[in-house]
Amino acid sequence: MNAPAYPTSVTLYICKVCGWIYDESKGDPDSGLPPGTRFEDIPDDWYCPLCGVGKADFEPLPQQPPTLASPDQNVRPASVRNTGATSTAIVIVGGGAAGWSVARRLRALDPLVPITLVSACTADVYAKPELSVALSRGLDATGLRQETGQDAAQRLHVTLLPQTVAVGIDPHAQRLRTTRGTLPYSKLILAQGACPVEHPAFPASLVWRINTLAAWAALRTQLGQNARRIVIVGAGLVGCELAEDAARAGHSVTLVYRGKYPLASLLPAQAGARLQQQLRSCGVALIPEAIVSSVKRTEHGTMVQLETGEALTADYVIAAIGLQTDLRLAHMAGLQTDQGIAVNAQTLQTSNPAIYALGDCISLDGQPCRYIGPIAPQADAIAHAVLGLPYEGYHHSPPAIRLKNRSLPLELRGQPDPALVWHTIHNTPERLVMQQRHDGTVTATLEV
Amino acid sequence: MMLPHISHPMSDLPPEAASTTGNNGCDDVSSRIEQIAQTRLSSLASTIDQEGYYPLDVLEELAQAGLFSPLASKDNPDLVQAVRGVSAVSRWCGSTGFLVWCHMACALYLAAAPDASLNTDLLALHLKGARFGGTALSNPIKAQAGIEKMALHATRVAGGYLVDGTLPWVSHIAQGQYCGAVASLGEDRTEQVLFLLRLDKPELLFKCPHFSGMEGTSTWGIRLQAHFVPEQDVIASPAAPLLKQIKVPFLLLQCGMAAGIIQGAIDSMEEVEGPLGHVNQYLHDRPDTLASELKTLEERLIFLARNPAPQDKGYMLDVLDIRAHGAELALRATQSALLHQGARGYLSSAAPQRRVREAQFMAIVTPAIKHLRYEMDRLSQEEMPV
Repeated sequence: MNAPAYPTSVTLYICKVCGWIYDESKGDPDSGLPPGTRFEDIPDDWYCPLCGVGKADFEPLPQQPPTLASPDQNVRPASVRNTGATSTAIVIVGGGAAGWSVARRLRALDPLVPITLVSACTADVYAKPELSVALSRGLDATGLRQETGQDAAQRLHVTLLPQTVAVGIDPHAQRLRTTRGTLPYSKLILAQGACPVEHPAFPASLVWRINTLAAWAALRTQLGQNARRIVIVGAGLVGCELAEDAARAGHSVTLVYRGKYPLASLLPAQAGARLQQQLRSCGVALIPEAIVSSVKRTEHGTMVQLETGEALTADYVIAAIGLQTDLRLAHMAGLQTDQGIAVNAQTLQTSNPAIYALGDCISLDGQPCRYIGPIAPQADAIAHAVLGLPYEGYHHSPPAIRLKNRSLPLELRGQPDPALVWHTIHNTPERLVMQQRHDGTVTATLEV
Repeated sequence: MMLPHISHPMSDLPPEAASTTGNNGCDDVSSRIEQIAQTRLSSLASTIDQEGYYPLDVLEELAQAGLFSPLASKDNPDLVQAVRGVSAVSRWCGSTGFLVWCHMACALYLAAAPDASLNTDLLALHLKGARFGGTALSNPIKAQAGIEKMALHATRVAGGYLVDGTLPWVSHIAQGQYCGAVASLGEDRTEQVLFLLRLDKPELLFKCPHFSGMEGTSTWGIRLQAHFVPEQDVIASPAAPLLKQIKVPFLLLQCGMAAGIIQGAIDSMEEVEGPLGHVNQYLHDRPDTLASELKTLEERLIFLARNPAPQDKGYMLDVLDIRAHGAELALRATQSALLHQGARGYLSSAAPQRRVREAQFMAIVTPAIKHLRYEMDRLSQEEMPV
């Protein structure tokens, strides 16, 4: 049998309008084009057999299909396999410390229960507090990553949906809608974290927020190896840590904040003065009692305009002005919320019995508690409750707050109250201990 | 900034107030629309779907009853009433529901036009069903999302533009009708112009292939070669702000279509509950389950239509999500209705098999489910300085 005589280097052409593919080896016999007809030899009055557009609307089809995915995504993303009517699966929203903590506890207590974890990011496992001390330690994203999300999922037998956004909840039908399909759930666990406070003075196109490994890694890449001018706005724990970290890494750092001294909402003036002095000795320039009115791009860099009229020019601006919970999903599910998703303080159950929540997204007695410490016991309580296992319940106690600055490690225990007086217990140049008391009981202790 | 949501937005209202298909008993216009839809379309739906009957007579009757009146106010269209109208029609015939949607989208463009011949004269005729026209915005909406390239390109000439390009399938058009269309402008093609395309010459239209259903939507290909568009037919240049503005009504009205199709599917299940309930009890997605999910969907739909906040990211996520939710629920509900009716629903004249295809259409018409998820993903990404 004779093979048709056509060139061996055949090419495919795709209709830009409907996606029909012209294969030179096959031609278009129905339109009178025998197999082997080269695209350039097709008459101009030929039309796409599917949608009717002309030859000009075709373009060569690349050998590799075009993809909008970033180069590191060479793995086909996971997809939702089961969209059936009912499911006994436990679905976790969030691939950060809280999400993985629950997954680990559930798996430890029940080797078989189906768990699906939905994560807007790759769900790589890392210690978030390290982000504010990693520059001076010479770490990169790989060094900070303890385990990839895929590896963790495999180890724990969890179905991971990475780079998948949870977009809607039908609480009556118990269905979670995501950008890769809809998941029925028997129990839903919200571990979605908190996101940086948005403020019109700090446009996201100009101002960095370091709340994820991805954001930190992107900033780290941009900083490169050169010394940069960095303005950090906000002198809470993260702002103070980042300022010292960046200064120790060789950058020229200015810390701008509203209070009279750094960490003014937590510390008495005496301790604040020590912190201020230590930050200065690390080379951090301090601008207290300052409010930023705008951040703009100029030809010299990014300009931070203060309300006093003073302007600072930087290569990079970082806002560390606080976190808030994105309550969109919680509200769609009809959950009670205040500063976060309101949960039962013993069971971590939300106002919907099939939905639990933990970590940075919740509030306990009206107060969010965005520290790593409580996450593990919260995860333990939820895992027991969800699996119906006996458990004494979660007991919240305020975690010790540690400032990780190397020049001035600081620890705050108990429940500091800005209205109460701090009593000095010990005061030497090397060590400062102070306490707050209420009705004779020590309610907070500060050690610097 | 995130705006607060309202939990259970409609729970303080009586159930019928949130329903998109049910009339509220005191609304004569809604009752009349429902009555026309039921009496005319229940018998015509199959002819429209299979034989390609283009029901302009029904549309005219519905227009006379006030179906398009909610869009008469240029600055403040009554989106809630418009959504209810689309839904009421789609319950009986998805093709006609789609034509209603096309006609409403075109009304939004006409209302936004600067020229009085469009925003007053033609709009008045359009709303009362004396003139008909649709929308050719599938391609530019996908282009805006980065999914495909712009199909039409315009070159500025004295008194207007010359437009070139081809659009493969545009519905609710015919010779003598019109549609809103968008063309790219300039060398770098970054700007766009939205204009009224008057289909006054037969050579502008070409026949489409045979579709698996919805044949009566008068769907044609459009081929433009140096086609002159006069200045007075320009609706917006640059087009981007108007495209952004119409996105919310565009999507919510489509969701009204989905709600109507779902309600129709539930009707078909209830129809056979007497004779077949004893075996249908073994199916999942039973009518009461779907009715409850539809109620949730409708409550959210009416809430979003009543409280538009297009500048808010959370609101836009809600709108994209509800449109996807509508399409997904329509797929499930129509599939289940077919299973409930069995062989009688599989007859070529039967509503359940037709609705399966109508729901599939909801899932693939721009913006398709995959397109909506892609946009939600993009909208949810953390923005970082470049």
